[in-house]
Amino acid sequence: MTEATENTNHVPEVRVESNGPIVIRGNFSFRDSSGKIVSGEQEIRICRCGGSKEMPWCDDTHLIIGVPG
Amino acid sequence: MDKTDRNYSNGKITVFWQPKKCIHATTCYRELIDVFNPRKRPWVDMNGASTEEIIRVVKLCPTQALSFKYNEEIAEEKKPEPAEVLAEARVMEDGPLVLKGDFKIFDTDGTELRHLRMSSLCRCGRSDNLPYCDGTHRKIGFTGK
Repeated sequence: MTEATENTNHVPEVRVESNGPIVIRGNFSFRDSSGKIVSGEQEIRICRCGGSKEMPWCDDTHLIIGVPG
Repeated sequence: MDKTDRNYSNGKITVFWQPKKCIHATTCYRELIDVFNPRKRPWVDMNGASTEEIIRVVKLCPTQALSFKYNEEIAEEKKPEPAEVLAEARVMEDGPLVLKGDFKIFDTDGTELRHLRMSSLCRCGRSDNLPYCDGTHRKIGFTGK
């Protein structure tokens, strides 16, 4: 393993927010449903109430319709 | 690499000189004294001949005390490997969010969830096993890119 890899090797964190989205932070690959991949350091918010109009992203619709758990 | 090793560059190639391998066969300076001149310091003058000519003579060295590499090749070797991505988050159409590889996953109350290689998290909001997917999205006809 190279030095560069070690330095950036933080394990990305996924937080399931109470009554909110799934938030993922860190160095990872994100693949959307069309197959497009974005890799690297990033932070994304994924809808988990099922009601976003900007899928897969959270657009705060959960504030209106609520998300269970 | 030995501390007596030397290298000489003309911008295009680098010639490596490993004195411990040299048996003084004299091939290099008999062939190309304008570049390889043991009476001069430094004894290798990379401006003394064309790159092609230097390469030709370096290849004649019987012991490989002289060797060379293209500078482009050296730059390529020095490049750090692209950081390996060990984790992938993937959105399944009309389905869950699939997390593969190294992630730390925290539940709504902050406790860390057990994650072995792969976890599927609910996106439809109707799973009976939140935050995990339990397949309910199929029953309710969830649609989501």
